[in-house]
Amino acid sequence: MRSIRTRLDACALLLASTGVGLAAIPLGCSDGLKAPIAAAHDGVAPLRGGTLHLAHYSDVRNLDPHGQYDAISLQAITLMFDGLVDLDHDSRVVPKLAERWDVEDGGLLYRFVLRQGVVMHDGGELTADDVKRSLERALHPATPNATRAFFEGIVGFDAYTSGKAEHLDGVTVEGRYVVTVRLKQPDAAFLSIMAIPSARPVCATAGNRYSRSWLPCGAGPFKLEPGGWQRGSSLRVVRHDRYFDPAASYLDAVEWTYLMQPMPQRFRFEDGALDMMMDPLAVDYARFVGDGRWKGLVVPLADNTIHGESMNTRMPPFDNVEIRRAVAAAIDRDAYIVNRENMTTASQLLPRPMPGYDPTWSCASHDEAAALEHMRRAGFAFDPSTGKGGWPRPIPYLVDARSTQEAAAQVLQQQLARIGLRLDIRSVSWPAYLAIGQRIDGTPMAPEGNQADYPDPSAFFEMFTTTSIDPEASANTAFYSNPTYDALVARARHEMDPAARHELYHRANDILCDEVPWAFTWAQRDVVVHQGYVRGFEAHPIWPFDVRRVWLDRGDQALEHALGGGLR
Amino acid sequence: MRRLLRRLGASLFVIWAVVSLTFVVSNIVPGDPARLVAGAQARPADVAHIRQQLGLDRPALSQYVLFWKRLVHVGPGEIAKGDAQHESCAVVLPLGESAVHVDFGSSFQLGRPVVDLVSERLPRTFALALAGLLLQLLFGVATGVLAAWRKGSRLDRLLVGTSLLGISAPTFLIALLLQYVLAYHLRWLPLDGFGKTLGQHALCMVLPALTLGIYGGAFYTRLVRDEMAVLLKQDWVRTAQAKGAAPAGILLRHALRNALLPLVTSAGLDFGALMGGAVVTEQVFRWPGLGQLSVTALFNRDGPIIVACVIVSAVAIVVSNLLVDLVYARLDPRVRVPAA
Amino acid sequence: MLDARARARFVRNRAAVAGAAVVAALVLFALVGPALARHDAYTSDFAHGVSPTGMPVGPSADFPLGADRIFRDVFARLAAAGRLSLLIAVASTAIATVIGAAVGIVAGYYEGERAPRLGRLRIDVDGLLMRAVDVMLAFPFLLLVMAIGAALEKTTAVTIFVVLGVTGWLGIARVLRSKTMQVRALDYVVASRALGQPAWRIMLAHVLPNVAGTLVVLATVQVAQMIVADSILSYLGVGISPPTPTWGGMLFDGQGYISGAPWLVAGPGMAIVLAVWGFNMLGEGLRDALDPHET
Repeated sequence: MRSIRTRLDACALLLASTGVGLAAIPLGCSDGLKAPIAAAHDGVAPLRGGTLHLAHYSDVRNLDPHGQYDAISLQAITLMFDGLVDLDHDSRVVPKLAERWDVEDGGLLYRFVLRQGVVMHDGGELTADDVKRSLERALHPATPNATRAFFEGIVGFDAYTSGKAEHLDGVTVEGRYVVTVRLKQPDAAFLSIMAIPSARPVCATAGNRYSRSWLPCGAGPFKLEPGGWQRGSSLRVVRHDRYFDPAASYLDAVEWTYLMQPMPQRFRFEDGALDMMMDPLAVDYARFVGDGRWKGLVVPLADNTIHGESMNTRMPPFDNVEIRRAVAAAIDRDAYIVNRENMTTASQLLPRPMPGYDPTWSCASHDEAAALEHMRRAGFAFDPSTGKGGWPRPIPYLVDARSTQEAAAQVLQQQLARIGLRLDIRSVSWPAYLAIGQRIDGTPMAPEGNQADYPDPSAFFEMFTTTSIDPEASANTAFYSNPTYDALVARARHEMDPAARHELYHRANDILCDEVPWAFTWAQRDVVVHQGYVRGFEAHPIWPFDVRRVWLDRGDQALEHALGGGLR
Repeated sequence: MRRLLRRLGASLFVIWAVVSLTFVVSNIVPGDPARLVAGAQARPADVAHIRQQLGLDRPALSQYVLFWKRLVHVGPGEIAKGDAQHESCAVVLPLGESAVHVDFGSSFQLGRPVVDLVSERLPRTFALALAGLLLQLLFGVATGVLAAWRKGSRLDRLLVGTSLLGISAPTFLIALLLQYVLAYHLRWLPLDGFGKTLGQHALCMVLPALTLGIYGGAFYTRLVRDEMAVLLKQDWVRTAQAKGAAPAGILLRHALRNALLPLVTSAGLDFGALMGGAVVTEQVFRWPGLGQLSVTALFNRDGPIIVACVIVSAVAIVVSNLLVDLVYARLDPRVRVPAA
Repeated sequence: MLDARARARFVRNRAAVAGAAVVAALVLFALVGPALARHDAYTSDFAHGVSPTGMPVGPSADFPLGADRIFRDVFARLAAAGRLSLLIAVASTAIATVIGAAVGIVAGYYEGERAPRLGRLRIDVDGLLMRAVDVMLAFPFLLLVMAIGAALEKTTAVTIFVVLGVTGWLGIARVLRSKTMQVRALDYVVASRALGQPAWRIMLAHVLPNVAGTLVVLATVQVAQMIVADSILSYLGVGISPPTPTWGGMLFDGQGYISGAPWLVAGPGMAIVLAVWGFNMLGEGLRDALDPHET
């Protein structure tokens, strides 16, 4: 047990005694971080039990694995839903709900043999029917699924997603535990794709159609506690006792508190009332890194995210390719990365650790003269010395309110103002940002990021294909459509020769550089800080924040923390 | 009785006017009212449905009638599950087989009927408003009496000066300061949130209530001090003093009674305002009441919630004004001060 | 408005003078501050605003109050925010004062009578106006700004000062109504009415001068209220959209840095408190100076 600090330090006294109090802060009242709370035991054998407490500054949009998941909801979805296959920490495909699979017909037929006796959260046993029903639910045209296009290679995809067929022909149930998927062409990435949330089976309660009121229910190691999802405030999942692999996880429960600002998050975290803290503010991050006591407790997450300025090619002024080119050339990426600790500049689609990354594929770099020339060619010449000309109206620019995005937006605004594009920042919540950004007439421009859904370049390139356009859940947030590009990406998907594939993606990247649906800006490596008693956390290369193997060793596990513990 | 009826009529008028104003505001703004009412998460089909529900293709007057009809209407006494027409309604007044329904629509982001959200949060806002108001009165009366008693002294000046500072610091500054010192540094109280048990609710309520108490208390300090200062100058008080009644006794018995009327009036108005959700305080302390709901809804572009919050807080203000009026009528004859 | 005796009373009142001084200092700061600052309030300085660790620099000669999280000069932003905040507060107070005075004087003048006539109809002007006040009192202004902001998808300075202006007049109207009722009973006003002078002329020539002092006091205190309201809106993030600096917004952005870069909180925090305190004190001082009987 830690003793509760009762010492009235000089700083607090000063603060309390001055009416305004804030006057005291600049008088040297900046205080140090508290020490991390150490693990109670030295042993390495994981302990069972305890609740992991997490928080996030925004709300979660949805918890349906079949549509609209995002970096935040994925944390919970990873725990509640298992796929037929999974990706291990080296991004290799490993068995999960399927105990094995065979590839037949020269890569055209995948036969998955399900593990027997897998009990889902509603008590039903997982069968091949569930797999087929879930896939059909995920790919149904009425499901707002931004990852639908990844499954394009399945036979019958077009007929099913256009509503012409009742069922997805390529998926066949062959007995209670066997399901096959037939592809149109061999596909190097198909197995990895079967690991993403959209391909994961859901309970029979979900039916075969998407509904926003459905409560998450799957076959993962944790299940939603009844009443555990208070939309707009918190989420609690508990261990699924009948999970097929009882040794898979150690925690009794994981709890998220949403809409908690970074400052109270850090306060709680230091007190051990939150066990892990995601994305600390830059200033706090620097302090954690600079504090020797916290060494080893600051963990960088996967470095597989690319950020860019998404320009809606169907809305003015970005229906004009010259304006998009001007944006790409006007961005000074070195100045744009406001958070130097964990951002690096990027000027191409693929982030560095992705397979297929090639440093020579760089797009436009900062060149204000070139940007002004593009503006002139677009018919909106701008004279920087007088500030006259340019696009005549403010351009709505959608950001996640009170996030790093909102801060960075103000830097971008300064940069684009120099070429006559005046951004008008519209701050909305994270769920609203996602919804509006993915809608066809939602916003002309927004900062977007993409995190690899699976370890293959196609996870990035297919964001810009015509199939990825959806009127309300578009992975293609630029609503960019180019048949030449589509053809290249489709060929690359089925090209089994690595060199030829690399070359196809190279050409696709060149098209993106030239037509600029996104102006690529930076790559970001998110960070997690955790308490000393949080053990077993290892960053996963694909699932951004995976706590399935985490265990707690705080000695007072049974006790809720005296002050903060139960108060979330 | 006639007075009561008149007041009731006036209150109903105010509610009608506020709701109508809400309709006007949400219809004159540029943009798509259907999208605004549906919220950012609504899908195109939902927006189309709401467009039809709002009658946006019809003339303004029939839109207005539809608006009221949706808000308050008569429907089945019990709302059956899956009754698409009444699924977001709440029964407020049973009328035999049928009942009066209130319907604020549904929130697509929070996935629930707005009446449910509001009725879940109303008691919390009520509790915080009550606690905040009591602390305000406690601080205000205590310091006000002290200041009046020692009027012109250093204590008086200190109290009045502090109260002015209290009025000058917006709630979020007071809130941040209390949070930083009492919760983070001293760890006496929870930082924010709501808790799970009754005890935790109470503990979590201390800081937000204290914030409201300090901010609003400053106002009562001055009110009580001024009221009492006037009183203390009056002849009959001097007479009482001459007769040998202890000064403290005079202060508490007569003077406080005299200050009661303006106190009740202000407290009633304040309570109404607090019931609209102490937006800032609830937001800083993540107290899950109406104020926090409305800020979240704003960022979510969740139209139905915002409209509901406007209407509910207006009704709260009107009702508490009505109550003040009733209390006032009761108090008035008793507390009449002897003519000076 | 302030005669010699009132001036003398005001000058003797230390708190009032302090309030006036603070207000004057703030106005000066808002007017010349942006010019004094070495940096533009809207421009990030990636050359000098960044410390070697990548953090915003602290207070220095170049950045008197440090830099914010995207490396802009806090001093320049504080001054620019002050300029805007004072402008909004004064402009909305002006609207509120005009509406409040008009409503209060007219209602007070006609209190208790069914007048004027409109053809055969006699209108209860006072009753109508007071009902309007009741309605506006019940309308939550914060939510109103938010609702309009949501509908317009952004909030501008114009939205805020208009909404604050058209909702902030209620208190003024109520006080002026009762003041007018007192003035109405004065002999020469009664006489003017009896002589058949038009009502608007009596209100302008006799009532308004009599309530002007009260109006000035109310308006001064109202400015403080408007500053608070404006800072609350921007603190909540529903005020003027970025990059425009606002005290409340700067405070919100800075609060996460309270431990590492406290100047980001202290500056705007003190600015808000001082501004509100200054106008409150000034208003109180004016009231005491104009109406010595009240205290």
